[in-house]
Amino acid sequence: MITISHVSKSFNRKAALEDVSLTIESAQIYGLLGPNGAGKTTLIRIINQIIQADRGSIQVDGKLLTENHWKDFGYLPEERGLYKAMCVSDMLVFIACLRGLTRHDARNNVKHWLAKFDISSWSKTKIESLSKGMAQKVQFIAAVVHQPTYLILDEPLSGFDPINVDLILSELKAMKAEGKTIILSTHNMKSVEEICDQVGLLHKSRLIVEDTVHKLRENQRRGEFVVRFSGNMIALANALWTEFELFETLELGDNRFQIIVKQRGERSFEDLASNLMGKIKLESIAERLPSMQEVFLGLIAKEEEKNEE
Amino acid sequence: MLILGPLLILLFTYFLLKFGDQGKNSLRVLIADPANLFDNKITSHPSQAVEYLFYDTYLDYEEFRDGNRFKEFDAFVEINEKVLQNKTVKLFYRESPSLDIKMKIKFELERRTEERMIAEFTDLSIDRFRQLKQPLNVDFINVYDPKNQADNNRGWVGIFFGSLILFFIGLFGMTILRSTSKDKSNRVVEVILASVRSSDLMLGKIIGIGLSALVQLVIWSVFVVIGLVIFKEFIFTDIFDPSNYEGIQYASDIKNDILLNASSSRYNAFIDLIFHRINYGVILPVFFIFFLVSYFFYAAFFMAIGATSGSESDGQQFVIPIFCLLLLSFYAGFVDMYYPDSFLATFFAYFPFTAAMTVLVNVSTASSASGLVQVLFVLLILLCHAFIFLKIAARLVKNGILNSGHRLNLSTIWLWLKKS
Repeated sequence: MITISHVSKSFNRKAALEDVSLTIESAQIYGLLGPNGAGKTTLIRIINQIIQADRGSIQVDGKLLTENHWKDFGYLPEERGLYKAMCVSDMLVFIACLRGLTRHDARNNVKHWLAKFDISSWSKTKIESLSKGMAQKVQFIAAVVHQPTYLILDEPLSGFDPINVDLILSELKAMKAEGKTIILSTHNMKSVEEICDQVGLLHKSRLIVEDTVHKLRENQRRGEFVVRFSGNMIALANALWTEFELFETLELGDNRFQIIVKQRGERSFEDLASNLMGKIKLESIAERLPSMQEVFLGLIAKEEEKNEE
Repeated sequence: MLILGPLLILLFTYFLLKFGDQGKNSLRVLIADPANLFDNKITSHPSQAVEYLFYDTYLDYEEFRDGNRFKEFDAFVEINEKVLQNKTVKLFYRESPSLDIKMKIKFELERRTEERMIAEFTDLSIDRFRQLKQPLNVDFINVYDPKNQADNNRGWVGIFFGSLILFFIGLFGMTILRSTSKDKSNRVVEVILASVRSSDLMLGKIIGIGLSALVQLVIWSVFVVIGLVIFKEFIFTDIFDPSNYEGIQYASDIKNDILLNASSSRYNAFIDLIFHRINYGVILPVFFIFFLVSYFFYAAFFMAIGATSGSESDGQQFVIPIFCLLLLSFYAGFVDMYYPDSFLATFFAYFPFTAAMTVLVNVSTASSASGLVQVLFVLLILLCHAFIFLKIAARLVKNGILNSGHRLNLSTIWLWLKKS
């Protein structure tokens, strides 16, 4: 578990982080979200001990973060960088050795990861001759080659095609299953929804919210329901009456429809179900939670309003 | 450059030895002596190198140059009627003679003129006249070095080794700067800093590049030494024997210091320097110690510039002062060699930027025992400064290495220096 307590950092008297406290549970994927300039990269650099916080502390499993933890952490920075004149395997062995592996173990791990990503044939290829996507894969391996307990990934999916995005996400899920703790900073909200257990949202150097993905979406619920049915729309309108508002309709063919309705007042899921029962042929009915994209935008907008007031 | 560098040095040395004095080595000289002052005689020991023929009519240089009958002559000497008074003789040549030949002709003409003057103006014998003619020798002797152990010429050895240090510092200092800037621009530095301290990264880079410099230096030295031994033993066997060099003999005979210096320079400045004057047992350890400490001292500056610059080209402007200080070392070396007791020489000896050069000049000129304390003291000063500036550089690296895209200026450097 990583516990970040009251961390502050400023550059040239401009605050980059203000009193940020958050907890990252073990064997979880933690999404570190926030608009550009919110302080995500600064926080990530502090956790990686690349820069020091002005105030506050970080604990790893109850112990203060020190240089001894370097070998336990893997890091994929947003701005990728490798020694271009080195060949892939030499570069990866070098990074693994820096992270505390013996040369022998490093070589074995590199072989394993290159084979896993089906890129063993690149082993002796120089980094400078790799395409961007290929280099991204190598960079990802550089972050995980020493089998860290904690993995910090800054925009890990950028530059990957959908196939490789899927590959990386599967890999992250597998690592989580192995008990690794992953901090993921990304603007890709779809992947946050897919793999993150918990998120922390930074805005203007402050942590404005920290919760599980599910709870955040639930907290932002707007009383919207997705209904699939067959029948006619007049019957539906009568069934909804004034208690629910129909605001999106999608014709699925064969007299089948998908609609989104929004509740008015204190009406509940049960009210909607009972209103529709017997009037149309219901296929499914489910509450529509806001996407993480919507949650993100909603929270930022709310924060902006608060600041304006 | 690992192999090419020493090969180029040896090639340069070879050409210097082979073609150092490239002028014409044998001459047919026509002596136009209308007054017959020389009595158709120049020397009683004719040589194959210079053949003299006399011409008893007035000849001007245009006639000599264009006249078909003079084409077989390489030069002509105009002996005017007043040569015993004005002591001036003109030699017109078609192709410049070698230094050896020039000195030989000058020596023989001067001797012959002298003989004519003795006969014309004195009742003395030639031997007696030459005995009286000996110039007064004034020896300038340092009371602290009455045996003149601090030989100026040996200072060149120090200059040579000092220059080697400066050359490698300049070369590999720029490698440090470029490598650091490149690490910044291709962003690899963030990956590295996630596993090592910025000060470790700095020292690793300095030591790594320094070791490659040292390896290169050793390889160069081995190649050059082997090459020089081959030159000495197999190729230029004669040139290393001063007795084979006639020019020194002539110049010495006629007591002409300028000629003596000029004639001996070819022998002294290079051959004697390399094969006889270098006390390798003393100078090599001093050289390697000061090479290392000076390298660390200067590397701190190059590293700091590389780490704080906004782009690979940004740091160039800050390199100029460093190179000026490197060049100042050459000046310091000369000051120390020629005016070792001056205030400036003392200042340069303790000034960390010039200390390596002055110490090497001191060690090569002074007796080793008298300078040992001074060498150790200068080493201590240099070590302290290297340590201080590495500390400063470490702070600049820590605060500046993750910043890029800016334009480096002094206020930014000051800001990063103040930051913990």
